[in-house]
Formats: sequence, C-alpha cells, structure tokens
Amino acid sequence: MGVKQMPSYDVELVDIVKDFESGGGRVRAVDHVSVQIEDSEFFALLGPSGCGKTTTLRLIAGFEQPTAGHILIRGRAMEGIPAYHRPVNTVFQDYALFPHLTVEQNIMFGLQMEGVHKKEARVLAAEALEKVRLPGVGERKPHQLSGGQQQRVALARALVKQPAVLLLDEPLGALDLKLRKNMQFELKALQRDVGITFIYVTHDQEEAITMADRIAIMNDGLMLQVGTPKQIYEHPETHFVADFIGETNFIAGTLIERRADGYGTVRLGDGTVIRAQLSETLGGSAGTVTVAIRPERISISTPLNPPKALGNADEATVLDALLVDSQYIGTDTRYTLRIGDEIELVARLQNIKDQEHAALKIGGNVKVFWQDSSTTVLDK
Amino acid sequence: MRQSLINEGALRRNRVIRRLGSVGLWLNPIFAYFFLWAPILILVLFSFNNSRSVASFTGFTLKWYSNILNNVMGAESAFSTEIMLNAFRNSLFVGTIATAISTVLGTMIALAMARGKFRGLRLLDGLLFLPVVIPEITQAISLAIFFKVVFDWAALISGERIFPGFHTIIAAHVTFNISYVAIVVRARLADMDPQLEEAANDLGANPWQAFWRVTFPLILPGVISGALLAFTLSLDDFVITFFTSGVGTSTLPVFVYGLLKLTVTPEVNAISTIMMVLSTILIGISLAMQGRNASRA
Repeated sequence: MGVKQMPSYDVELVDIVKDFESGGGRVRAVDHVSVQIEDSEFFALLGPSGCGKTTTLRLIAGFEQPTAGHILIRGRAMEGIPAYHRPVNTVFQDYALFPHLTVEQNIMFGLQMEGVHKKEARVLAAEALEKVRLPGVGERKPHQLSGGQQQRVALARALVKQPAVLLLDEPLGALDLKLRKNMQFELKALQRDVGITFIYVTHDQEEAITMADRIAIMNDGLMLQVGTPKQIYEHPETHFVADFIGETNFIAGTLIERRADGYGTVRLGDGTVIRAQLSETLGGSAGTVTVAIRPERISISTPLNPPKALGNADEATVLDALLVDSQYIGTDTRYTLRIGDEIELVARLQNIKDQEHAALKIGGNVKVFWQDSSTTVLDK
Repeated sequence: MRQSLINEGALRRNRVIRRLGSVGLWLNPIFAYFFLWAPILILVLFSFNNSRSVASFTGFTLKWYSNILNNVMGAESAFSTEIMLNAFRNSLFVGTIATAISTVLGTMIALAMARGKFRGLRLLDGLLFLPVVIPEITQAISLAIFFKVVFDWAALISGERIFPGFHTIIAAHVTFNISYVAIVVRARLADMDPQLEEAANDLGANPWQAFWRVTFPLILPGVISGALLAFTLSLDDFVITFFTSGVGTSTLPVFVYGLLKLTVTPEVNAISTIMMVLSTILIGISLAMQGRNASRA
C-alpha cells in the first residue's frame, strides 16, 4: 500500500477524505485530513457543529469508512477492519448504555465479547466502577442513574476494555455547567492515571483548552491548525482559528514590508503604521492582511498616567485612542476603544486595582499599547 | 359602570358555553362507546339468556355454555361438540404456525426497513400498509385465485394436483399477518437508539452478537406484541380462511358460520362470547407489551 509504518504514533490519519451522499449530491465531511496522535496524548478535535470532527472520530472508530486515505492505529492499517476488531473504544455523546442491562452487565459486555470469564469480568467491572468513582451501583439499571452517573458508567464500560485509544464524542455535552467543570478535571486526571490516548471531540473551546495536550481545529471538513492550547491561542494561523478560540480584535491593513526577524510593517486603515508579528502560514509578500490581537494583551493608560515600560520601546506599539464604552463582566472590564475614525478595539483589564479603572472615563482620550509579539498578521 | 355590565353579560355567556361544552365532552365518549360496544354487549347478554328467543331476557343461565360442551343443541342442528373442538384445534394449529412464520418474516422486514438503506424503501413502507387497508374480501379472492393459478401450474409441471388445506390457510394468514407484525415491531425499533448497536460493535460484538444481545432483547416486547396480534387476527379471521380452506380444515369462525346457516342459536352467542373474551385478552396483553417504555426495557 506504500504507507509508511510509523510506530511511535498511536493514531495516524493519512490524507483522509470522507464524502457522504446527500440527495443527489455529495457532501465532503472530511477534507484531506492528516494528523499524528501520540501515545498517551489527550488530543482534542475542536470545531463548530458540522465541521467534520465527529465524522473523523467515527472513521477512527470504524463506524464509517473513509472515501480515501488511510487510518493507522499503533502502526496497523485499519482498512477492512470492522469496528468490533479495532483496539479503540468510544464514549458516546448520549452514553448509549444498554437499557435492558444493569450497570454491571453493561460494563461486562465488552469483556464477555473478548471471552473473559464471567467471574473475572465481574471483578474488573467493579474495579472500573471504582475508578470512575461510582462504586456500588452495579445492580442498577442505567435509567435509575443521573446523567453524570450514566456518563461515568459509559466511561467505565469503555475503559474496562483497556483500549489503545479512547474516543470521546462530546461526552460532557449533556451535563449542566457545574458538573461539566468538575468532570473536566476528573477526566483529565483519569486520563493521566490510565495513560490511554484520548481523542476528544468537542465544540467547547474552553473545554479543549483546559483539558487537551494538543488541539486540532476543524472547519468545513478541513483541519486548520494542530497545536498545543497555547500555540493555538497565541499563534492562530488563520482568521477562523483566531476568531473561534477566545475573543480577538481584527484590524484590517496592508502589509507593506516583511522583515527577516518574523515581523512586518502594516499600514492600518487610517494610515497608522504599526509593527506586527507575521504568522508562519502567511501567504504572499504584500497585500491586504488582518492583524489579530487579544483583548487582554492591550493595555490602556490616560495621558496623565503614561504607559509603564514594556521592555524595549522598539518592540511595543503605542496609539492614541478614544474610550467609547466600558462593560463590567465580573473578573474583567471590557473597554471599547476607537483609534482614528475606523478602527475599533476591545481591551480587557482585570478588575484588580479599582483606581486604575476609575481613571478611565468614557469619552476620554487614552493611550493604548501592546507588545508587538502579542500581534499576529494573518491572511485576510 | 356600563363597561362592567357588558363584561358581566359576556362572562355569563361564556360560562354557559363552557358548561355546555363540558357536558358535550362528557356525553361524547358515552355515545362513542355505546356504538362500539352495544351490539357486542347484546350478544354477551343473550348468551346468558334463559330463553331461546332474543325477544326478551327472561333470566340468567349458563346452560348454553354447558350445551356446547356437552353436545346438546336442538334436534335440527348439525352441531356437535366434537366438531367444534376440532375446529378450535384447527384454529389453534393454523394460528400458531401462521404466527410463527409471520413473526419471523415481519420482524425481518421491520429490521430491514429501520436499519437498511436500499432502493424502494419508501415503496415498501407504503406497501406494508396495503393488507391493513384493502378490503378483506379482495385479499381473500386474490389469494384464492393465486392458489388456483399456482396449483394449476404445479399440476401442469408435476402432474400432481395440490388441494387447498391447512397449508393454503396458513400461507394466507401469513400474508396479512406479516404487515401487522412489521408495523408493530417497526414502531418499537423507531423508539430504540440505533447508536446502541454501534456501542455493541464498539465493545467487540460482531453484528450477529449485537443483534442477539442488544437489538433483539430491546425489540422483544414489540415482537411478542406483534405475535399476539397476529395470533388473534389468525384466530378471528373468517373471510380469508373461508376462501382458502379445503375439506376438513374448518377453523372456529368458519364452523360458527356453518351453524348460522340454520339459525342464530344461543349456543352460537356463547361460542362467540368465548372467542371474543379470548381475543380481548390476547390484544390486551399485546397492547400492554407495546406500551412498555423502550428506554427502560
């Protein structure tokens, strides 16, 4: 088949394409996706609904067959291997617990399929329930448990099989916010404990950022960027990624110079020229670009209270602005600022020093500044 | 002041309308059930009537029930307990076999329609209801002609003539029962999360194991319900059976019809009442099975 054997990866997707027939036409759910997932990694597939993340997961599970490309699990090609022979297990979004079986029977199901003796399966099931911190519910039927408990049973049922890879399809999606937060920590701790590779599908960026070792951002079937949460958040490579993860200011401009140090000179709409960091994937040599900068990276000061030292002044940008609006949001205050006539920016300041916020009056002239390394120049 | 008087009048009118409405709603089911049940109630009532005539109810008796079991039934009657019991045995035999076959086939059709993706799925969906809606007499005649054509053709090829009998009745009953079983099982399958089968596969069950350990236990109430319905329909059927039966294969309804050729006797009322009670019990169990919550099986 000419596929390289890459033993160090747990899961490897090589140029995967998945088309679905829909009506008379074809819909491309997964579009030439290639990614390598390492052993014991917590890998999140993040994207809006319909981006192809669940389809990607179902391809790995074996519920769907790729239209083109190869899937390797622990170096072994998965072509023609049905779901029930793959060394992966799935935690379904709605848990998919068998309603006619008890919790214990649910967990024992997979073991019995392997031919594990009933006695031993029972011991392993009890251990699995212990591991998900739900001991003593083995005799109950799934519908007698709460959503959070069912979630744990689904997890125990999959983990008891000791799969090479655990696939989780928005497992916390049906839980309420508070429970979801607790489960995020628990899941992460459990993953470290068992050392199994997790592939975790979610549309919740916060969930992905807090839990994952690496995140893959998907949209329209394309895998746009793969990286650590920090890389994704701080160095988004596309407009979509920057926009999807967290809040971002986008400023339209024209790239007038590209320098060897990874920075460039951008002329903004009102003629202001700033220095900004270029994205590695930025195409072309000049032209229309977008400068992205996170609201929490922007500092504000009044003319009376000039910007404190930001290290080397050559590496920072300071601009005059008009304070248009402020919005108290608990931990932070969001300030809306206008530079010139066209550019509107949002800055977020933590609510630590009250006098700092008191000095910022709506309608007042202020200075905004940021370190140039906080910016990213992206294709339009 | 004026304003409030007008409102008072409107309120009073409103109250009268509402009262009329509630009386109407109370009367409506009484009339509906009367139309549904009155003839049957009269039949049951007269099966306990001391008088042979249906002109008046003269007192309670169980003698007609005792008559049918003791071979006593007026001199001019062709009735004999032995023949009746034989007809009942025929009914049970036909019902059991037809139910077994139609339950398996109906369940398979339901599974294919719920899980399969094939051309003509919608057409099959529509066709499935056909035996439920077409007049029974049409189906009966079509089956009678069908069997004749097949047997003529078979005689031409093999030289042996096949005659109608249990096999034709059973085949006929299977044809209409399949639809009922399939419809009931499909309703049950529609309630079942198809992801459960994927979960079973995911946990290492091949499709065969997944079916027997997950799908089948979950649809079993629907299958039993469909089977009971099929069995009841088979026991009760007259028209189709009448057109497809041969010599000596009379089922109970066909036997009762034979009795009616002479006169409606109180014994016929008694047999009919027993049949009705039996069918009602079976249908009751069938409905109870259908009502069971699919998620808590």
